[in-house]
Amino acid sequence: MNVELPLLAFVLGAALATAVLRDVLGAIIAFATYSLGIAVVWVVLQAPDVGLTEAAVGAGVTTVLFLLTIAKTVRPSGERVIERLDWPALGVSVLLVGVLLTTLGALPEIGSPDTAVLTSEVTTYYLENAYSEVEVKNAVTAVLAAYRGFDTLGEAVVVYSAGVGLLVVLGKEVFA
Amino acid sequence: MSESSPETIGEVRNYVESPIIMATVRIVSPFVFTFGLFIMFHGADSPGGGFQGGVIVATVMLMLGIAFGIDPLREWVGESALVAILSVGVAAFLAIGVGTVALGGGFLEYHVIETELGIYHATKYGIEAVELFIGVIVASTITGLFFAIDAGKNDGDSE
Repeated sequence: MNVELPLLAFVLGAALATAVLRDVLGAIIAFATYSLGIAVVWVVLQAPDVGLTEAAVGAGVTTVLFLLTIAKTVRPSGERVIERLDWPALGVSVLLVGVLLTTLGALPEIGSPDTAVLTSEVTTYYLENAYSEVEVKNAVTAVLAAYRGFDTLGEAVVVYSAGVGLLVVLGKEVFA
Repeated sequence: MSESSPETIGEVRNYVESPIIMATVRIVSPFVFTFGLFIMFHGADSPGGGFQGGVIVATVMLMLGIAFGIDPLREWVGESALVAILSVGVAAFLAIGVGTVALGGGFLEYHVIETELGIYHATKYGIEAVELFIGVIVASTITGLFFAIDAGKNDGDSE
């Protein structure tokens, strides 16, 4: 059975719910659902590493952090469930999506054998030599931790800087 | 932090002691922790790696915080210990990279560990060590964010 269309409808529905729900708690739960849908999209697109990250970070950790953040907010009064639409903002968003959609035609088909990624010499080199050169079976990890380890050091330092930056902003020396 | 504040209107209660949640977390957390380590180490041969594994390990801390209260958890971890662990993670990653340079190779060229020190499969162990330290950095940063965001409820202007 074709899984893409129901999945797309699920993700779009969750994204829409995140945008229009008036209750912040509801919006956060909808956002976690959206992340879960996106994680499944990554798996469908054969990118399990990214899917795992999306599921753990998007659906898991950020949801908990958001829930902690809204602890000081209050529920909006009134019976309305859906936020009143902001037409100028909606217009700008639709315009932006329209501009981005124009690039859609330039993308290759999903699973197409002649995409730039699959035909590139670099990819072929990694797939052929990763195991003999760095002794790991997951080519993604081989690129991440060996061939382009310096980039990964940069990524790890970005995470570190996020923590340190938070401490600097709060003017504290420890996370408390 | 748990003393009753004089103004109860702005008080935020985001910890509810629940025996069900406590029992569940007590049973589930060792498995989640092991799964996080598995993702970290087995990332070399299957999807996963330090970033994903680190997040999963951090969720153990989040679960413990939700089940047993964040303030007791923060005291148990130790506020400065968390910053120390975070810095040690970055320093250890750097040390592996610089260490291979010191042995005469390129940055993170693990192969020289095997040729210079005679440790077999040094490349694989090196990658796993790097994944572990990435996991340490990610897990301690997320735990730190968790603690810092929670601490925000105690001070600042509350309506």
